Amino acid sequence: MKKRTKKPLIEAKDIHRTFGSGELTTHVLKGIDLTIYEGEFVAIMGKSGAGKSTLMYQLSVLDEPSKGSLSIAGIDVLTLNESERTDFRLHTLGYVFQDYALVPDLSAQENVMMPLLMRGKSWDEAAVTASDALQSVGLIEKDNNLPAELSGGEQQRVAVARAVAGEPTILFADEPTANLDSVSGKQIIELLVSLHKAGQTVVMVTHEREYAKDCDRIIKMTDGQIN
Amino acid sequence: MRSLQIGFLLGVRQIQRASIWTTLLIVFVMMLTFLNLIAVSGILVGLIAGAERAVRAEALGDIIISPKDGEDHILETETLIRQLETFPEVADYSVRFSSGATLEANYKERRDLSGERDVASVQVTGIDPELEDQMSGLAGTVVDGEYLDATEEGYILIGAYYVAEYAEQFGDIFDTVENVKPGDTVRLSAGEVSKEFTVKGLIQSKVDEVNLNTYITEREFRRLFGRIDRNADQIVLRVEPTGTEDSVKGALAALEFERYSKVQTYEEGKPKFITDIKNTFNILGTFIGSIGIIVASITIFIIIFINALSRRRHIGILKGIGIRRSAIEIAYVIQAAFYALAGSALGAAITFGVLVGYFEANPIQFPFSDGILVAEPLSTFYRFLVLFAITLLAGFLPAWMIVRQNTLNSILGRK
Repeated sequence: MKKRTKKPLIEAKDIHRTFGSGELTTHVLKGIDLTIYEGEFVAIMGKSGAGKSTLMYQLSVLDEPSKGSLSIAGIDVLTLNESERTDFRLHTLGYVFQDYALVPDLSAQENVMMPLLMRGKSWDEAAVTASDALQSVGLIEKDNNLPAELSGGEQQRVAVARAVAGEPTILFADEPTANLDSVSGKQIIELLVSLHKAGQTVVMVTHEREYAKDCDRIIKMTDGQIN
Repeated sequence: MRSLQIGFLLGVRQIQRASIWTTLLIVFVMMLTFLNLIAVSGILVGLIAGAERAVRAEALGDIIISPKDGEDHILETETLIRQLETFPEVADYSVRFSSGATLEANYKERRDLSGERDVASVQVTGIDPELEDQMSGLAGTVVDGEYLDATEEGYILIGAYYVAEYAEQFGDIFDTVENVKPGDTVRLSAGEVSKEFTVKGLIQSKVDEVNLNTYITEREFRRLFGRIDRNADQIVLRVEPTGTEDSVKGALAALEFERYSKVQTYEEGKPKFITDIKNTFNILGTFIGSIGIIVASITIFIIIFINALSRRRHIGILKGIGIRRSAIEIAYVIQAAFYALAGSALGAAITFGVLVGYFEANPIQFPFSDGILVAEPLSTFYRFLVLFAITLLAGFLPAWMIVRQNTLNSILGRK
């Protein structure tokens, strides 16, 4: 385990998440208390149905807890309206989804450029930054390819490039290797590790212990609670 | 601005990557909608415009001079005509004398003097045949026989609606005489005065003012009706170049024409019912076209809705990575705008490049009109704006419905 920095980036207190109502209520998260520090590489692990993805959705401001408080980078995100949450995600967070989640009509470079343009960069600036990001994931020669023209591993590397091109405060990765073969999966993990070594805070959900071994901390979940 | 840039990028790329056949089909539907909107009302209005054009060409001309209110005839007609002839813009003119009379036919063959006479109440117009033909092309309307000759006397042209054989298609609505042919003798009676004429020709036109008229020479008219003062009932002018009638009318007014007569441009003098029918047909055409717009907007709505629904997950992901809702909505509006613009551009090219010229050269033959396609650029543009605005709305609404859904539900495909 590596030494933690002291500055907390995510502070979650008594996070609950329920779905449905009445007798059909499902209590997925049951009072999660969690602090993630700047520069940490945290893996959230657990069996299927343990609530790890649901927890990540709360931490990454894609969902809203039913109860509890959540502060990210010093901002009480639960007080933000939808538009502010979208802007917050744009400027503060980066995402790598399980199944790449690239826009099929855009080239690899344009996919990476999207959040940069939304942040206000000019087309030329965004194109240069996107090229740099694709260079860093080893895909600069395929910058004009459509997602359908890339392998699964390559698509996921483009997704990583898109997530980090805007230099987010926190990078979330939701089972980023789940749909990849072992070689591609390993490449993605190596990519995340190298980003972490460069100072990137990374929160990753995975169910594969092997991929979590390079993390600073592993948060194990069972039945909606941290063990 | 950022949303617009990203929306534009997403929209353009979606159009570029879409199936070419799907895109062509949607553009085709939009083109048909445009044509429906423009052509249906254009042809309906064109029916009246064709009739109006014929009335202007064959009867009323560009400027109509008629008796001043309270007067029976145009005062100082000869003086006015001399002045008219000094106007270079007056290309043609015709001086008309007109009155009602009784036309009787077949009286020589009549054996039973107590039986019914073959008579009809008719409008008689006295003309200078040469000037009238130059002005209205009256000689071209002769369908049987020959046109009047100014040097001959005792001849008459009879409008088709006064001849039973020509008017029978309309039932009994016209007062007619029977079996009248060129060469037959007829009698015109005005009060106590009667005169025999030989039928020189029968005339037929799509203009009722011609069909419901009989023509004799001016000299004989004045003799028959006792009009010794030479004051006419109507003077019609054609001006050149077209469109100078207002300035010519102003110049006539400056010469005190209005002291002796009433001077009106065609637009001022044309029968009000023509304008009313034109407006009614325009409204009718717009109503029919509106149905087309509704169908097209529903089509666009469904297309964009299915498109957005099938990309719901990607929309969720875009929102997840911080792309604003407005940017995503703009992407779909841009698609709708493309379909509307492409379809309308094609429709406009067909309308102005093919249809207008085609109907001009090959008018639709109606009993009362040579129907053309009226597509005025300004009104076409307004109709396009309506189509465009409704299409944008039809593109925006489904996108708005999908984009406003919960981000995480969209990403996970949950309801």
